[in-house]
Amino acid sequence: MKLILSSCFLQMQLSFSRSMFRYCLLVDPIFFALITYMIYKDSSVENFIAYVILGTGLSSLFNNIVFSSAGDIDRERYMGTLEMIFTAPGGFRNIILGKIIGNTLLGLLSMLVVVVFLNIFFGVNMKIASPMFFVMAMLLSVVSFIAISLIMAAIFTLSRNSRGLMNCISYPVMILCGFYFPITILPEWSRVFSYILSPTWAVKLLREAVYGIKDYSSFYMESGILLALSAAYIVLFIILAGVMEKRVRVKATLGVY
Amino acid sequence: MENAIYVKDLVREYDVAKSREKGGKSVLQALKGISFEVNKGEIFGLLGPNGAGKTTTIKILTTMLTSTSGEARVLGYDVNRHEKELRNHINFIFGGERGLYWRLSARDNLMYFSDLYRLDRKTRTKRVPELLEMVGLADRADEKVERYSKGMKQRLQIARGLINDPKVVFLDEPTLGLDPIGARELKGIIKELKSLDKTILLTTHYMLEADELCDRIAIIDKGEIKALDTPDKLKKLNANMSVIEVTTIGISGQAIEELKLVNGVQLVNVQDMDQQQQLQIHCESPSMVVQGVLGVLSQFKVIDMCIREATLEDAYVKLVEGKE
Repeated sequence: MKLILSSCFLQMQLSFSRSMFRYCLLVDPIFFALITYMIYKDSSVENFIAYVILGTGLSSLFNNIVFSSAGDIDRERYMGTLEMIFTAPGGFRNIILGKIIGNTLLGLLSMLVVVVFLNIFFGVNMKIASPMFFVMAMLLSVVSFIAISLIMAAIFTLSRNSRGLMNCISYPVMILCGFYFPITILPEWSRVFSYILSPTWAVKLLREAVYGIKDYSSFYMESGILLALSAAYIVLFIILAGVMEKRVRVKATLGVY
Repeated sequence: MENAIYVKDLVREYDVAKSREKGGKSVLQALKGISFEVNKGEIFGLLGPNGAGKTTTIKILTTMLTSTSGEARVLGYDVNRHEKELRNHINFIFGGERGLYWRLSARDNLMYFSDLYRLDRKTRTKRVPELLEMVGLADRADEKVERYSKGMKQRLQIARGLINDPKVVFLDEPTLGLDPIGARELKGIIKELKSLDKTILLTTHYMLEADELCDRIAIIDKGEIKALDTPDKLKKLNANMSVIEVTTIGISGQAIEELKLVNGVQLVNVQDMDQQQQLQIHCESPSMVVQGVLGVLSQFKVIDMCIREATLEDAYVKLVEGKE
């Protein structure tokens, strides 16, 4: 636990010291929020602001976590510290978990930035019909995002092409998981992918909590699905991490020299 | 004497992607079945040119890579199978400026690495200032590493490499890129480590460094160990060999050919230095040869001349380049 906390704190320090990270964390979401607000402003969608705030906030959070997971693995690789943390007795998995939690906590700031920006400049307030359930859905969402990031980090450690992989997954996830629009408008065949991606359920739960839950049993069931998917992702991470820890020593992908 | 490191027939192969035109992969054999042992408390040097297999050997012994075949044990632990148990007892330091968090201070770096090695608070509180003091960074411990000179970063690497009080320390070209003063300071620290009873495996391609620091040296080239012995015994690979060094101006090719024909001369090396040339004439009995040499050089201006014993570098060149 001490190592996880220590890695989390170190990650927050390192990430926040990078100007590009600060830009992505604090400035980029404002532009995204502005664009989304303008697109939705005259739409007939009820409580459209939930789409603007949740869509922008969640995509910023997701990108921060996933991009940082990949970018940080790559940065550590080029700094020559990936080999050090990989062989540290504390355990590479604990270190990665700590780093991802650090990025997640910082990523939550993006959501806050979006809320504050829309409130100050457009006088918009997000009304949450079921605040308790919203907090619960947010917690489950964060856990699911961390679980996805763990899988990404394992894959990115194994491959030297992590930046490429990272760029490949960002937009497909935003589209398939319905960050900015309901997935019901997507082609039916693509929804299979949507349903196995936990952010789809996270977005759904958060929106329901904002609009007000009409069917509690359905809400609980969706929460259960989100939890089950997150658990499955964690199991997948454990399997992948085992494979990764063996493969990187064979393929020599920890360093660049 | 007990072994700290045992390596037997170690082979490491890498898959190397070929060019786009050729496609496919080829196999590069970085280590071709090397064997050596390092005694406890010894400074053991792996000396060889770039690409000889030095870093691959260290990466296998420090559990960053697995071997393709052969056996490697450190402190009795099989590096391929018992890496988790081994990692508590070893540490490594790579040359250059990598391996540190530049945006953190030296103290924060050491604090974090002490967590990675699961040191308790009491040990950490005692050890971090001690190490900073040992490497001479105590007064700048709270500055960000990015402001440090190369030498300071390298000294911090040493401190990081000792954070878990390892029994075996691996140093991969530790003085790489350092100025002479920085290199001297670092060599002083390495000698201090030996006095602390650490076993050290050191790679370098600096002859003088290996000669000065190592109890024994293995000369490695193209994945094979060419020789393994104490520096003094390695120098004696050129036993009875002396080198007459002559600095001249404007020596002709014909004169060099004539020098090679002087009775007793075994090899003549010529190095151009601006308008001057330095001749290295290898022979067994310089007193018998020197008259003939001076006879050939009588038409040219001789600036300097000396006779010296063959050095470790001469032995290294002989082994690596096959020069006689």
